[in-house]
Amino acid sequence: MPTKNTSPAVRPTESGRAAGGGPREKSRHGAARRRGRSERFAPYVLVAPAVLIILALRLYPLALGVNFSFTGDGDANGTAVGLANYLELLDDPLFQTALANVGLLVLLLPVAVAIPGLLATFIFLKVPGHRIFRSVYFFPAVLSPVIVGAIFNLMLAFDGPLNELLGTIGLGPVDWLGDPGVAKFAVVGVQIWATFGMALVVFLAGFATLDASLLDAARVDGASLRQSIWHVIIPSLSQTIQFVFVTTMIGMLTSMFGLLFVMTSGGPEGSTYLPEYYIWIQQGQMNRPALASAASTVLFLIMLVVGLLQISVLRRAGRED
Amino acid sequence: MKQRILWSAVTVLAITVAGCGSASQPASAPAESGAAAAPATKLVVWDWKSGEPYAKTYIEKAKADFAKKHPNVTVEFVPQPFEQYYTLLGAAMQTKTGPDVMLFNGGGQIRDRADSLLPLDEYIAEDKSRLAGWDAFAKDGKTYGAPVTLQGHPIYYNKALYEKAGITAPATTWPEFLANCDKLKKATGAACFALGNKEGIGPQFWLSGLGSGVLTPAEYDDWIAGKRDWKSPHVKKIFEMFKETGDKKLNNEGANSTAMFTDIFSVFNTGKAAHIIGLMSDIGHWKDFGEFIGPDKVGIMLAPVVTEGATPSLPYDGGIGYAAAKWTKDPKAAADLIRSLTTTDALSSFSAEAGAIASDTTISAPQDAPVVGEIVAQLKAGKPALHVAMDSKTIDLMGRLSQKLLSGSATVDEAVEELAASDQEN
Repeated sequence: MPTKNTSPAVRPTESGRAAGGGPREKSRHGAARRRGRSERFAPYVLVAPAVLIILALRLYPLALGVNFSFTGDGDANGTAVGLANYLELLDDPLFQTALANVGLLVLLLPVAVAIPGLLATFIFLKVPGHRIFRSVYFFPAVLSPVIVGAIFNLMLAFDGPLNELLGTIGLGPVDWLGDPGVAKFAVVGVQIWATFGMALVVFLAGFATLDASLLDAARVDGASLRQSIWHVIIPSLSQTIQFVFVTTMIGMLTSMFGLLFVMTSGGPEGSTYLPEYYIWIQQGQMNRPALASAASTVLFLIMLVVGLLQISVLRRAGRED
Repeated sequence: MKQRILWSAVTVLAITVAGCGSASQPASAPAESGAAAAPATKLVVWDWKSGEPYAKTYIEKAKADFAKKHPNVTVEFVPQPFEQYYTLLGAAMQTKTGPDVMLFNGGGQIRDRADSLLPLDEYIAEDKSRLAGWDAFAKDGKTYGAPVTLQGHPIYYNKALYEKAGITAPATTWPEFLANCDKLKKATGAACFALGNKEGIGPQFWLSGLGSGVLTPAEYDDWIAGKRDWKSPHVKKIFEMFKETGDKKLNNEGANSTAMFTDIFSVFNTGKAAHIIGLMSDIGHWKDFGEFIGPDKVGIMLAPVVTEGATPSLPYDGGIGYAAAKWTKDPKAAADLIRSLTTTDALSSFSAEAGAIASDTTISAPQDAPVVGEIVAQLKAGKPALHVAMDSKTIDLMGRLSQKLLSGSATVDEAVEELAASDQEN
């Protein structure tokens, strides 16, 4: 702090003229008061840029968006319509599908975490070729969703290579992206394929902190692979697992738009809609910006709840440490 | 604590301003400069085509024609990016300082702005019969734009496959058409229709492509006029036929996962399907197909007749066209420029180079694309496309329902009922 440095430099001169009397004393008090005031304001000035940025670039647009969601579209542009947009959302089967799909993503989360976890375990246990696997597994993580989507559009096409392969082993073709019951799992599968590399790296970092003597002890005691995973590796990695859960969840809820856009356009039969995609369609294609604002607000609330839950999970994990 | 204060502040703010403002751009946007005080000796034209290489000859011919009539007036073409075109144009028109002449898409875009446009009727009387597609540029009996291109949905067929199957002429009735499909399948292995319904666009083309063979002329005209009778058995029949193509496996496999733009065109181009309901201009049309299967192997047919009394016609609407601003200093010069932009000579260049069906009904087909002649011959008797008359929400719903029809998870009755409800609501 600057005060500590300035005070000693000031004091000697002041004490030398102490006999000088009242006015000097007063001005000294004034200076102190000024200094006190500037000290009082200093923290506010220092945090002002951050606060202003948050206010102007985060909270103000957020408030605008929420505000728009209470206005109408088209002829009613700019007039207040109360909760009409939200009621319309509740009534729209497409938005219901989008929300149901969010639920599906949450249900599939353990799979999305287990896959990189298991693969990282194998690499950690040094299966043959683990060095190659480590880089190969990470490779898709550097591809953009649009490229991944385009690749799998070709792979999963009805007359594509995957169906051809199935045909040669005598299995009928599957309409991967055209059957509503299959398409949403196909897209989630591709999303997991494209992103698990990052989680794998996090898991490997977690393994680096694992106490090797525990594993050795388990081995000496005759534990099987399954037992050492269940009783040694998973408990030791609980924090890493929680972290991967949180980041994978955020990834699935916020970054699937590109894949959906390229792979299914929300179809077939609207079965692969997610709130993000719904918002884009309403705003860009249907010319319903106010309805889109309402959907955005709902998505924001969902993300807020998910985020708060995750923060509390992370905090608890931190305390256990 | 701080966070709590911040949050309550936001909540208070949100509540106090809730319901004010508007979600889309308010009307009062700043003016576009540049074209501000255009003197009568200069006309400024805005569009999104003149910058393209394929429009070069077209623009040159139009300019030359105009220069003959108004040698002292200079013309400046200002190409704008299409994505922002109507935003920029809207802003400029608000302050009445926009361009003198501007390009429009037919339909809603130009009708919404008719208040700021110059009625062209007194200037274009001579062109009325030569050009087609005027309806898309008219509102309340007045014409505000002159069409340059037309967009429509002919049923294209592959003549090479027809020859292989021993079919000499396209079918004129639905049963005959289905019989031909059988023959084609047996002789060539090709599917009857190339259908890309991943985006749900398939039924729009289907409705417009085949509708004129199913609806009676009166029903057709009522539909376009906004009096859509969803209870009519003929309307239901169109969707039954769509489902029939799925049930009888007349489409290429995996229709619901094949994209209309542009995967499906390659199915037709590679001879894997004998028919496709395509477009006339811009993409997925005679020029694209001709490059693959040979220009002389591309044919078009009218919708096969299903209902007695139906008169099959080519479904099309005005595509793009030029209009003049109300405040232009010299309306006569602006109108003359529009006329120069729609001469037969200029339009034939645009048609051939841009791959579009021009609005001119007298254009002779280019040597290398005889099918253009067949399309142009159908323009006079053609009618507006059925799906263009519907609102975007119902169109979107129709896309999803059509995927359900193909997969069997919805019946035709359910689909028609939902569409009727959505159409009447909007």
